[in-house]
Amino acid sequence: MSDIDSYREKLRPGSLPHFFCPGCGCGQIMNFFLQAADEVDLDFDNLVAVGGVGCTARIPVYLDADALHGIHGRVLPWATGIKLHKPQLDVVVFAGDGGVGAIGGNHFIQAARRNLDVTVIVVNNLNFAMTGGQVSPTTPSGLNTMTTPYGNREERFDLYELAHSAGATFFSRWNTFHYQQATDSIKKALNHEGFSVVEILSQCPTHFGRYALGSGEPTRGMEWIEEKSITISDAHELTGEEKKDKFVLGDFYSEERPVFAGSTVYVEEK
Amino acid sequence: MLGNYALVEGALAAGCDFFAGYPITPANEISERMANRLPAVGGKFLQSEDELCSIYSVTGASLCGAKAMTATASAGFNYMQEGLGYASSVEAPCVIVDVQRCRGENYATQSDVMQMKWGASGDYEVVVLAPSSVQELFDYTVEAFNIAEKYRIPVIVMSETTIALMRENLTIPEPGEIEIEERDRPEVPPEDFLPFSPNDRGVPPMPSFGEGYHTLYSLNPHDEAGNINWDPDTYENMYERVLGKIQDNIDDVSIVEEHFADDADTILVAYGSEFRPAMDATLRARDEGLSVGLLKLGTVWPVPEKELAGAAEAADTVISVEMNVGKYTREVERVCGPRAEVRSVTKNRGSIHTAGEIYSAIKEVS
Amino acid sequence: MSNETLQVQFCGFGGQGIVLSSQIFGTASVRGPKLNAVQTQSFGSEARGGECQAELILSNGTIYSPSADEVDLMVALSQPALNQYEERLKPGGWLVIDPELVTSTGRDDVEVIELEARKVAGELGLELVANMVVLGFLGEATGVFSPEDLFDVIEESVRDKFVELDVEAAKKGMEIARERGISMEVALDESG
Repeated sequence: MSDIDSYREKLRPGSLPHFFCPGCGCGQIMNFFLQAADEVDLDFDNLVAVGGVGCTARIPVYLDADALHGIHGRVLPWATGIKLHKPQLDVVVFAGDGGVGAIGGNHFIQAARRNLDVTVIVVNNLNFAMTGGQVSPTTPSGLNTMTTPYGNREERFDLYELAHSAGATFFSRWNTFHYQQATDSIKKALNHEGFSVVEILSQCPTHFGRYALGSGEPTRGMEWIEEKSITISDAHELTGEEKKDKFVLGDFYSEERPVFAGSTVYVEEK
Repeated sequence: MLGNYALVEGALAAGCDFFAGYPITPANEISERMANRLPAVGGKFLQSEDELCSIYSVTGASLCGAKAMTATASAGFNYMQEGLGYASSVEAPCVIVDVQRCRGENYATQSDVMQMKWGASGDYEVVVLAPSSVQELFDYTVEAFNIAEKYRIPVIVMSETTIALMRENLTIPEPGEIEIEERDRPEVPPEDFLPFSPNDRGVPPMPSFGEGYHTLYSLNPHDEAGNINWDPDTYENMYERVLGKIQDNIDDVSIVEEHFADDADTILVAYGSEFRPAMDATLRARDEGLSVGLLKLGTVWPVPEKELAGAAEAADTVISVEMNVGKYTREVERVCGPRAEVRSVTKNRGSIHTAGEIYSAIKEVS
Repeated sequence: MSNETLQVQFCGFGGQGIVLSSQIFGTASVRGPKLNAVQTQSFGSEARGGECQAELILSNGTIYSPSADEVDLMVALSQPALNQYEERLKPGGWLVIDPELVTSTGRDDVEVIELEARKVAGELGLELVANMVVLGFLGEATGVFSPEDLFDVIEESVRDKFVELDVEAAKKGMEIARERGISMEVALDESG
């Protein structure tokens, strides 16, 4: 029953209206998730949706499931405690580029290394949006933000490289233009056993759009991201330098590895 | 038994089934024994990547129904303040152990006593227990879990190098002899359930994740339904209840021992390990006919004001004994000051007072 | 209600087995007569080589204060540690030193007992077991615990491969105390 009403039933009573800006990608990505969840029959009684602080972090607040919210960057420690104590629960983390790339970076690395059995949906809007448009670890070099008025002089993180080298067992990246592919990848991630990451590049018209792109038009933000987006196979044709300001999209990989069950697990002596 | 081990045994006796810890001296024996003991009894052990992970994984497990604990020492306790504020705000029961140590060194101190209560941003109440012996590390840890469950709060066991690395006799009661509290559970189906609507103690019944109650646990001000709601009334009411459930039940959560305090001219006030030399000094002074009593604070937060005021009422002098620069003395001064002269006897040299040092202070006022 | 107590302090540097010595002394002591024991320790942030001390109180009554104003018996295995702690020794108390490690003391009102523990341990094949030589020596001289209790506790406290050598070292310490006729009289009656 993939229709809009069935998604609406999955929203927390009394939680609307949402607080996303007009044209923000978070609403779209919440829709992608609801559609994917519906298509894989995700049981919301068995779901814990985890968000930290920021725009993305609000998504769990609108989901009619058990949910955590309100501390910046600690989404994976929460998820670790949950999955260790009740492994049968489905845990989906909604985090921004700040949450996993900056303040929660070490937690992200360690959870990937452990292959914690959770799905992390990273909404990468390329800046700290809720706080007013400051530079983030994924902001492309050279761009202006509220804290890089002379241009960003830092290098950006590639979350795929980060997740892969840390030990994540599933990674996909899309942008909000590619709703069908993004939704499909979320479905795969939900079905994946292990640490799965779906990064979705998302427009932030209010801040990133206005300061970095000079336009608060949501479509302009989407187009700008799409113009810089290439597929994994296209990326193979490019040199490292040529890829530098591109966003590589696709299902990168999926691997199997034992999932985390605690730092030490009792084994009865033979 | 080693103090740190006794604490672990207390936690297990209380039903602890989740532990997370990051290495730090002098709390390591807690993690090490937990790693050994917990998985064997069906619990989960996590060596976290930092103390933030410790406190938040503990919170996550707690909301799933676990009796969860973490342990650290002073520097690590700094990192946990954020999570302490969160656990208090969403009313997640858990136990935090801080084995206080001198900055960067492992020597004995009680210098975190104020941080126990004032370390996190925003408003919160915690119960802080101050054991003085290996036996009390066991007993108070059981009590810490019970208070955490009963009132849905983080409870802190304020340990110290002195007792954590002390070896002395421990008597572990038979399992049936230990009183164990469990959190109140919802008695209504999910559709009728308000996750932050309190029982008569001011404490909301608590479901576990995965039971269909669809509870949102946000740090942000939330109404009884758990929805984020910025409204001054909601905010004010929320914190009134979260603080009130402890303040209104202070007698239930407080542990105070009075030793010869009824009619003494001089009252010593001591907590944690400092009770021990204070007790020796009191006994010695009384042997010599001096009118001296001792108030042992087994809980330092919330401040047991009634007992402090009562003891000060009958006395001329109150001597506050601490192993730091004289921090809790200010609380003693606040409560006892209007009723008696308050003196501070402090030692900030990485070791516990000797009985003789405290006895000398008694002689000065007698 | 005057309880009889014995206050012992071991000091040296990390890695000498200071804490373990006090632990074994205390555990062996409570095996025999009904005594209470409290053992505490302190050390710096270094795992090896830093200053280290452990204190042990034995009593036939309740022990409150874990740190005494004065100690009856001090074992010092490094000069800096002795310098730091020697003022705590009770006048007339016993100071056991290893003359290879400690060459001077500022106290002339205590009974200094020299025990070449490290040398003896070296002759047995491993200098590290010097602390066991000390323990055997103290057990024989004070009579606070029996040899059997000492050996049992050593066996429970150390890794299997060291048990034999440690016990041998302890026996050597006992032998030295006997041969030299050293006796530290300790009055610790069984508690009621």
